Amino acid sequence: MKKKMIFSDFFKNNGVVMGTLLIGLVSFWLIFLIILPQLSMLDYSFRFNLPPAEVGGPKDVYTLSNYEHLIYGSDSTHQTYNTVDLKVFVRTIIAAMLVTIFNIFLCYPLAYFLGQSKGSGFVRLLVVLLIIPYWINEILRAFALRIIFGDSGLLNEALMFLHLTSEPIDFIRQDIALYAGLGYAYILLMLFPMYNVIESLDRNQIEAARDMGASWVHIHRRIVIPHAKPGIVSGATMVFMLSAGALAAPQILGGPSSLWFTQLVYQWFNDSLNWQQGAAYAIVLLASTIIIVLTVMKIFKVNMGDIGK
Amino acid sequence: MSSANLIRVALGAYLLIFFSYLLGPLVVMSLTAFNSSSFPTVSPWACFSYEWFDVLFNDKHIRDGIYYSIVIGIGTVILSVSMGLAASIVLTQVWPKLRSTYYTMIIAPILIPGVVLGISTLVFWDRAGAFFGATDGSFLYGLFHNGIFLTILGQSSFIASYAMLVFVARLQRFDTDLTEAALDLGATHTQAFRKILLPFMRPAIASASVLAFLASFENYNTTTFTIIDYKTLTTVLAQKVRLGINPSISSLAFIIIVLTIFAALAFEAANRNKEHKLAVKKGKASERKSGILPSFMTGNPAAILLVLLAFVVIVMVGTAQKYSPETCKIEVREAKQIAIQQRIEQLKEARRLKDEAKAATQSDAPAAPTTAAPKNSGAFGNVFAPTNLSDEDDAAPKAAPKDGNGAFGNVFDPNNLNSE
Repeated sequence: MKKKMIFSDFFKNNGVVMGTLLIGLVSFWLIFLIILPQLSMLDYSFRFNLPPAEVGGPKDVYTLSNYEHLIYGSDSTHQTYNTVDLKVFVRTIIAAMLVTIFNIFLCYPLAYFLGQSKGSGFVRLLVVLLIIPYWINEILRAFALRIIFGDSGLLNEALMFLHLTSEPIDFIRQDIALYAGLGYAYILLMLFPMYNVIESLDRNQIEAARDMGASWVHIHRRIVIPHAKPGIVSGATMVFMLSAGALAAPQILGGPSSLWFTQLVYQWFNDSLNWQQGAAYAIVLLASTIIIVLTVMKIFKVNMGDIGK
Repeated sequence: MSSANLIRVALGAYLLIFFSYLLGPLVVMSLTAFNSSSFPTVSPWACFSYEWFDVLFNDKHIRDGIYYSIVIGIGTVILSVSMGLAASIVLTQVWPKLRSTYYTMIIAPILIPGVVLGISTLVFWDRAGAFFGATDGSFLYGLFHNGIFLTILGQSSFIASYAMLVFVARLQRFDTDLTEAALDLGATHTQAFRKILLPFMRPAIASASVLAFLASFENYNTTTFTIIDYKTLTTVLAQKVRLGINPSISSLAFIIIVLTIFAALAFEAANRNKEHKLAVKKGKASERKSGILPSFMTGNPAAILLVLLAFVVIVMVGTAQKYSPETCKIEVREAKQIAIQQRIEQLKEARRLKDEAKAATQSDAPAAPTTAAPKNSGAFGNVFAPTNLSDEDDAAPKAAPKDGNGAFGNVFDPNNLNSE
């Protein structure tokens, strides 16, 4: 009954043509581009990888085998664990967290500096300089880092020139290039939300605290950080989700033996052509990242509505 | 006083580190586009050359990729901007209790990993095809397995959220009384939308379209799953970078960087001009005196930089037509050959000395092979500086092949065959 009223109100406000158009576009987006695709991926992840002729036949039943494969590997007796894939998964999650924390510490001072010194020409120049790398392709940015971190790259040449090392360091095999690249790729998504909230902080609050004798650390802990919390959490969420789900940077900067979890998904889809297995891995990635993000948001008491501001 | 100075120095150092981390890699990559060496590098600098731009412009895969990227970008802009606009209008009218749930749903695609979006789109439309009983070869089957169609849908699913955020910010300042007034005066809802809301939203639509196009153009994670048989610029680049890197990618990056700087400067210059005009109107600033520079450039450093950049690009394009690095390249090749010869001599010498020393120790007469290392290596300057310096005192044969790999590894690079 109530629902009917809402709809009739909606059409009264917008007219029949516009109302239908609006509802149609929004429901197309939500139903056909978001909800149904996610559900069909979930459904897929519980099915066997059957040849086309057997789909819909008696063998086409639900199964947990795709998820079991992640935990136990191809061993059907469940005696041993699939250490390779599990290790990749854990490494991906932990590394994404570390990248996020690194970015918070690197961006906070700059966001504070930019947010609190308003309008000068120098600050405007800095903002323009920040926007430029933002629009360079992710792959080209990873490529740029590969040039620097390569075997005969600039960094190795410089280190050897300064006699800090006599042999080239294999940054790529040691994953240093990968972590630097992930931090590099999404750093601006951390900076801008932080900058936006700090800019909205009234300067007088800081001055008042300073006049009352608050120390520098105190001002940040009691005034700036609480005010900037939604921005920090929103930036951290974006960076964490994007680095955990990154594909280009690990493909280009990752060592030959060490994989990122998204690369496993990619392999199941494109090399093994086992979509069901790939879908199960993708669901695991999605579910675990969402759980982590929601937990962090709960701990820091931040709402979903603060994201994307 | 001194503590204030200390803070200032620390801030300067921090800014320097931050911006070199951010911009340094881009600068280095741009420089490698002009080095004739077939591996993208700056430190053994061979010759200044434009040849990688030639290679780039003649690359059919990249041209195809750019074409499909633009087609997909346009489709994504149309779909995602209209969905984002509709979603933001619905957000202002939705029942308050439903509002936060609805907002969570339309913001969620930003947070879903692109890989997951790509996979779910691919799986869903494959299923939809099966549901409609579309068989291989039929129109629906073709559509649901068409890379361009799927990529537009996959990208729009999250780019619409970005567009929605832009619209929500603008809609907050919209005065709904205007629409009501129009309706009272007898306009239909469609007319009110077209004549009142749409003109008000036009700046937001423009910026959302630019944002959507750029986001689509540079997307990789979703596209790589949904593109199937086609290729976009990003998938072509990713493939190239994974298979083996060469400086033509640097030259593409250089072009993109220059275009970005152009756009950023033009935007900034236009903004400043507008601000100044506003200030003049309010009587806060005086009309600019027309000095040597045209009026739009005075007091507008961004505009000056823009003109300078345009000038530099024109000069570069001009010289690229005439400049030829052939003589330099021949010199470099000769130098390389001499260096290789030298290296071989050096190794022979070292081996001979070692043998002699061995013989000497055996015959109990310690001849002093202390000045074993040949001095002539210095002549080749920076090309081999790092390696030479480090193993001057023991030119042991075991280190030699490794060094050779690092220093003139280019010689054996398969890419050399393409360039020469």
